[in-house]
Amino acid sequence: MEDSDLTSSSNPPSNDRLAVQFNDAEIIIGLEVHVQLDTISKLFCGCSTQFGEAANSQTCVVCTGMPGALPVINQRALELSIRTGIALNCSIARSTKWDRKNYFYPDLPKGYQISQFDQPICGPGHLDIEVPETPGKLRQIRIERAHLEEDAGKSIHDESSLGQDSKIDLNRTGTPLLEIVTQPDIRTAAEAKAFLSELKLILNYIDVSDCNMQQGNLRCDANVNLHIPLGDHQIATPIVEIKNLNSFRSVERSITYEAQRQFEAWQEHGLTITDAPKQTRGWNDHAQATTLQREKEDSADYRYFPDPDLIAVTIKESQIKQIQKQLVQLPTELRKTLVEQYKLNPEDAAAIVSQGRGVVDYFSEVADGCQDSRIANNWIGQEVLRQLKESNQTIQQYPLSPKQFTELLNLVIDGTLDQTRGKEVLNEMVEHSISAQQAIEQLGIKPVDKNELVSLCEKLIDENQEVVEQIRAGNGKAIGMLIGKARKINPNANPGAIKALLSKMISQ
Amino acid sequence: MAGTPEQTTVNQVAKLARIHLNEQQIESSAEKLAQILGYIGQLDEVELPEDVTPFFGAIESVNAIRDDQLQASVPRKEILDNAPDSDGEFYLVPPVF
Ligand SMILES: [Zn+2]
Repeated sequence: MEDSDLTSSSNPPSNDRLAVQFNDAEIIIGLEVHVQLDTISKLFCGCSTQFGEAANSQTCVVCTGMPGALPVINQRALELSIRTGIALNCSIARSTKWDRKNYFYPDLPKGYQISQFDQPICGPGHLDIEVPETPGKLRQIRIERAHLEEDAGKSIHDESSLGQDSKIDLNRTGTPLLEIVTQPDIRTAAEAKAFLSELKLILNYIDVSDCNMQQGNLRCDANVNLHIPLGDHQIATPIVEIKNLNSFRSVERSITYEAQRQFEAWQEHGLTITDAPKQTRGWNDHAQATTLQREKEDSADYRYFPDPDLIAVTIKESQIKQIQKQLVQLPTELRKTLVEQYKLNPEDAAAIVSQGRGVVDYFSEVADGCQDSRIANNWIGQEVLRQLKESNQTIQQYPLSPKQFTELLNLVIDGTLDQTRGKEVLNEMVEHSISAQQAIEQLGIKPVDKNELVSLCEKLIDENQEVVEQIRAGNGKAIGMLIGKARKINPNANPGAIKALLSKMISQ
Repeated sequence: MAGTPEQTTVNQVAKLARIHLNEQQIESSAEKLAQILGYIGQLDEVELPEDVTPFFGAIESVNAIRDDQLQASVPRKEILDNAPDSDGEFYLVPPVF
């Protein structure tokens, strides 16, 4: 789609503008994130919020906006909003009210959305993020507000362009959403992605939302423009709102694209924020481009007014304290704990925490049990996470309890099992859901006594004089060949023990 | 379109409400609107003490709240029967764009 509305009043290209480089421009980004709260019933009625049920099977007089029906607010939606506000360092309103946002669309049966205009449940707060490109450097992104509102229904438009009717499913209508609005503090597409990842992780940890992006339970609009230095002043390009981004990748790519597009548009026609109104664009994943969205005139005139069907909600200090007390440890604190108490490096700590609270709990229990957090991290970070990924399971579904896993690691730590055999034992344990001892028996792993090991090494030295000569000549790596041969003869032989013994015997 | 400030407002609201008003209706609606605004405008003359808190509804109580519990939805056929058009599964509406 062409931006005909912008090019019509264009200024001639100027050499001043053409002299500016894209890298001189600063990208200004603010996000509006819609999170579906994890309630079983809708925001103002008792209809189910279950995803994927038969169309229009979960509606009632309230959520379809029948005359005379009265909405009543859901207690859990309030509580989850307050919990989110606390986790995002927001001030929590002592009194909050409901407003009607008026617009016409077929999937909005009442002709208005119940939302919060001037008294949102959560006021200013902030979230600190770390961008992978600059580890260790925290950026504070201010939260402007977070307000509760109801979701609209789903429209299925006819794609054949034959002008067929649109189909409307109102199951989603009235589902509770928390809209979290940031200040325009984000400066790069990577930061936007990092903000969303951290937000999603927090919402998972505090059980506010499953944030299933495929089901649209976390959606995001990005407001983007550029600040460009021009001579002794700075200009701002018109603000564009990219609507309905439903994956981290689309957030990152659409912002990257949009920044470049705005820069080129500005170089061409020089329009600034004072020349053009805010524009709405969509992300076309197919074309990997943002495209202008058709919007009706005056659509931004929502004529908010207090909803006469609903009364204000007051929130007591004691309620907030209570919710605060029940709040679990947040990802930031847990990363700190893993680094300071468990001595993990920041990258490993972040990797464990990013897997969710279940994996962190599993790790802590195993690390406490075997008293070696480094080995616990290696085995959980590599083996367990790989197995979970391959079997598409969560840690809660993992066949081995932390206790069973600790048992295995203790055998690795005391040298009963080497790394390779340990992994064989782990696979056997997972496959048959058995203990480490049972797996060891099934695999026929037996401890090798000292004499047996000595005669094995003597035999190897006898039979491999050339290799022995190489080792004597200083080729340290050659010993690996002997270890490999030893393991073929007796798989139970510990490679560490063989290596030590061989080195000793050869150097004598 | 020239006219009184009320006529401009009526035009704007009619447009937002997707309704068509003829000249005569615009004129009479604008007159009524002016009367209503004049009537409500009397409130501006009331002198309020400083510590009065804003009031948003006709009811002074707060906190009508329900537990997060399911209640039976209305059977689909029954609810779709209220619509001008449906296919038994979905509401059908003329294409938006
Ligand atoms: Zn309902």
